[in-house]
Order: sequence, then structure tokens, then C-alpha cells
Amino acid sequence: MKKKLLLGIFATGALVGALSTKAIAQVEEELSPEEEIRLVQEFNRMLAEGINPGEIWYEVGKEAIKKYNLDKCDLGLGPGVFKGAAAQMPRYFADAGKVMDLETRVGWCLQKYAGMSKEDVLKFVRQCWGKTGNCVSEYDGIIMYLTMESNGHKINVNLKDPRVKRMYDLGKQVYYTRMGPWDFNCATCHAGKQEVRIRATKLWSADRPGEAGNAVSIFPKYLVRWGLPMTMHYRYAECMRQMRWPEFIPHSDLGVALSTYLYGLANGTEIKAPGIGR
Amino acid sequence: MKRIVGLMIVSGILIGGVVAQEKGGKVKKQESVRQEEVRELMKSGFSNDPRFAWKLNQDEAQKICSQYPSRESMPASAIQKVIELSTSGINYPQWGIYWGDWKEGKKLVESPRGGRFASYGFSDNPADKGGNCYACHLIEKGMPGGTMGPNLYQYGKRWNITKENMNSPETIEKLRIVYNIIYNSWSAFPCSSMPRFGYHGSLSPNDVANIVAFLLHPESPVNK
Ligand code: HEC
Ligand code: HEC
Repeated sequence: MKKKLLLGIFATGALVGALSTKAIAQVEEELSPEEEIRLVQEFNRMLAEGINPGEIWYEVGKEAIKKYNLDKCDLGLGPGVFKGAAAQMPRYFADAGKVMDLETRVGWCLQKYAGMSKEDVLKFVRQCWGKTGNCVSEYDGIIMYLTMESNGHKINVNLKDPRVKRMYDLGKQVYYTRMGPWDFNCATCHAGKQEVRIRATKLWSADRPGEAGNAVSIFPKYLVRWGLPMTMHYRYAECMRQMRWPEFIPHSDLGVALSTYLYGLANGTEIKAPGIGR
Repeated sequence: MKRIVGLMIVSGILIGGVVAQEKGGKVKKQESVRQEEVRELMKSGFSNDPRFAWKLNQDEAQKICSQYPSRESMPASAIQKVIELSTSGINYPQWGIYWGDWKEGKKLVESPRGGRFASYGFSDNPADKGGNCYACHLIEKGMPGGTMGPNLYQYGKRWNITKENMNSPETIEKLRIVYNIIYNSWSAFPCSSMPRFGYHGSLSPNDVANIVAFLLHPESPVNK
């Protein structure tokens, strides 16, 4: 694992300096003002220099795909055909009898071709959840690699397929479901014509043209404060944690439904992974 | 502006006025999916940790609010129903409305951690208490905050509360109105994005009284 990481970093030598040298630690969310300022400066520097450490994970993923036999994985265009495949997901897979998004499909392939159990996969997916400071997960690498193979392709979720459309409709219903001890739904923070901020963060809205596309087309998104790229299912889990909903299970149909709704809304937007944010 | 609308709803005058701007309509019910399917999908997507199973139960008001993309698109009957459901069942501290301790209130207002929990990594504790009010509001001068809710800086001054009139019956009535908003925001702003802190038990009646004191007390930094 360590070796793989080094390999990845050497392959993209220019980025080495961008990673901080902090040890892996639990996330502490309440930053001191000094830490906040340092973070903003680091973020601005990366933007100014055009550095995105998230790209390191592309190399990690390339190795991991060989290691876990994922060159057999069919993302809808045939086994091992990855160029442009992620842009057409979620889609229906006859072999699984289900609509799947990219992450769920990768989990399915890991079970089929890497001999992982469902529990193994969940562990593999969540290896760096809640961690900060150079936590490099092969799963994040795989998702990064497969998404970046669609860079420049336009998101094209086939809503004419009734099975896909059904997941889209379910996702939309979930989006507006008020639930839990804080009464939130996704629309509480991501809807409305008027721009709002939660603390200092501007929130995207499903009701403002183009914003859903801008939000999902840059995932996985590298987060400077945590030093890792966040995949979409990690993002769902984090939004739901903030919503005080029960804990989200990655690769669940709930995740697929949300992806089908959000990527469906984003149809026509060009994929530009990885994004970067504070 | 928002504030005025809210207060008038509290005093029951404006309910018709809010309703007048009906537009947009319901979140489209899709024939292809039934509500039970949505529930099943959601249940299957969450950890089955028994400590959090109760979070999946939707109450009647949440069910109504889930049907509309915004308050503006709600019909009068739905608005009235949510107000009714939310006004009944507001509990007060044992000795009734009183001036709480604004220093305690300040702590609860500032803490983002209340009720937040996931098994992975983070140091959240399910028993942590806090209102995370700064996520959505600007409150004390110079403190960063969100803009989803109205600016609450000098909130007590805006209610004309002074050292001299602090204990007058009119002022105590104002405390009660603000108490109700924080205890159950939907009694004043049906389906608001502001959580119903007291209703769900996230904050106790005394917690709410302390927060009201933080917002309204003439000595609180909010009103400096
Ligand atoms: C309490 C407010 C809140 C709620 C409710 C909420 N989110 Fe988020 N969401 C956020 C914040 C904060 C971010 C981070 C934005 C950033 O970093 O730019 C975010 C980011 C996102 C993003 C990625 C956008 C980006 O550029 O990083 C997606 C997609 C998303 N949320 C989906 C959802 C979904 C789906 C739900 C409902 C299950 C939901 N959110 C509910 C606050 C919320
Ligand atoms: C998720 C966002 C959110 C959070 C968290 C939140 N509020 Fe609010 N609050 C709002 C919104 C939005 C309104 C405006 C009501 C409306 O139109 O729905 C509001 C209104 C209010 C009002 C009434 C203001 C007026 O117009 O007179 C008070 C008082 C208030 N909030 C206090 C608090 C306190 C205290 C906390 C923390 C315990 C808090 N809020 C947490 C969103 C929030």
C-alpha cells in the first residue's frame, strides 16, 4: 500500500510539494482561526499555481485496477472499456438486474473479480472516511481514475430507459423528504432561486440553471482541509451526517437513486474531475 | 421583511396574506413510484444501528412539508394544518417563561455538534447538544455566520427590550413569542428550514429559555 502511494506520487512528481506532511488523523472540524487562515492560503496557492493534488489518485487507481482485476469490469461499454463510460452512468446493467451508478458498479465488480465480500467492499470504500492528512485509499484512486477517463465527455444519463427514469423519480422524492430530528431534506440547503450560505460556504441549488451540473461534474473533489478526494457517496454520507439523518450506507439503492436524480439533472455538463475545494 | 411576516403569523393576522402568493404546486408525484417504495428505499440505505432507527419515523407535519418545494407553493389548508400541529404541544419550563442565563445560551448557540453522529472517524457524540445557529444566522457582531435565516444581530433591541422594561408583562410576552419560534419554528414559519429544536427534544425547555435570553437580554453581546 505504502509503495503504491509512493509510486503514484513519483509519477506525478510536480504535485509532491502540495501534500502536507501531517500524519493521518481523525477529523476535528472546529478549526482555530489560525488554521482557517492557513487553509485558505494553501487553497488559494493551489488555485493560483493550478495544482490539484487529487490527480495523484489517478495513478493510484491505475495500479489498483490491475491489482484487483478490474480490467474485467464492464461499466456499460464492454469489459475494460473505460473512456467515456462514467459519463453515461447511472445506467441499467442486465448482469446485475439493476440500475447502478459508478461507485455501486465498482463495488459489484470488486465482489465479482477481486473476491471481496460485501463487508470487505464497505471497509475498502470507507477506509479514509472521517480521516485527514495523507490518507490514500485505493478505492478513491479507482473512482478517480475511472471518472477522469470520462473527462471532456458530457454527462448523458439515459432517462428514456424506464428503469433509469424510475430511479430518477425515486431520487427526486428522496430529495424532498423532510426527515429526522432536524427536519432537513436535501432541498433545505440545495434549492431555491436565491443564493444562500451555510457559515462561509456557498451552497449549490437544484433550482438555479447549471448548478447541479457544476456540482456533480467535478467529483471526486479534492478537499484541501482533509487532504483527500471526496467521492460522491462520501459526499452523500457527509450531507446526511450534517442533516442528522441515520448513517448512509455507500452503494445502497438510496445512493443510486440520488445519483440518478443529480446526474440526470446534470445531463449535458462536461466532466472535469477532480474538482478542488477547501 | 422576513421578520415582519413571521411575527404577523405568530399573532395570526397574516396567515391569509402568506397564502395568497400560491404558485409552483406540489413536488410532482410520479406515477412510477409509490410513497411506500420511497420509504423502503430509504430504510435500506441507512445503517440499522438500533440507536438511530427512530430518526426514520416521519411525523405528520414532515409528511405535509415533504410535498411542497417551498412554503410559497403550499395551499392555505396545508399551512394551517402545519401551524396547528406545531402550536399544540409546546412545553415551557417548569415555572413558566423566565429570563434564562444568556451565557449558557451562548454556548448552545455556538456549538455545531448537537445530535450529529456517524460511526466513521469523527469525534461527534450522539449526546452532544447544540443549535448550530451560526450555520444559518449572523448573530454577534463580527462572528461569521450563514445567510439562510435572517440576521439576528441586536435582536433584543429590535424588540425594544431595555433594562428598564425587562420584566414588564409585555416583555415577558415577547420572550414567549421568541421561545415558541425556537422551540417549534414551524408554529410561526410552517415548514421552515429552521429545525424544531424543542419539539424534537434536541434542546430542553431550559435550554431554549437560555437561548432566548442570549438573543434578547440587554447585557448579551448580541445587543451590544
Ligand atoms: C444542512 C445543509 C445541507 C443539506 C441539508 C444537504 N447538504 Fe449537500 N452540501 C452541504 C454543504 C455545506 C456542502 C459543501 C459545499 C462545498 O464544499 O462547496 C454540500 C455539498 C454537496 C454536494 C457537492 C457539491 C460540491 O461542489 O461540493 C452534493 C452533490 C450534495 N451536497 C448533495 C446533497 C444531497 C443529495 C443532500 C440530501 C441527501 C444534501 N446535499 C443535503 C450542505 C447540505
Ligand atoms: C438550517 C438553518 C437554520 C438553523 C440551524 C437555525 N435557524 Fe433560525 N431561522 C432560519 C430561517 C430560514 C428563518 C426564517 C424563518 C422562515 O422564513 O422560515 C429563521 C428564523 C429565526 C428566528 C426568527 C427571526 C425573526 O424573523 O424574527 C429566530 C429568533 C431564529 N431563527 C433563531 C435561531 C436560533 C436561536 C437557532 C439555533 C438554536 C437557529 N435559529 C437555527 C434558519 C435556521
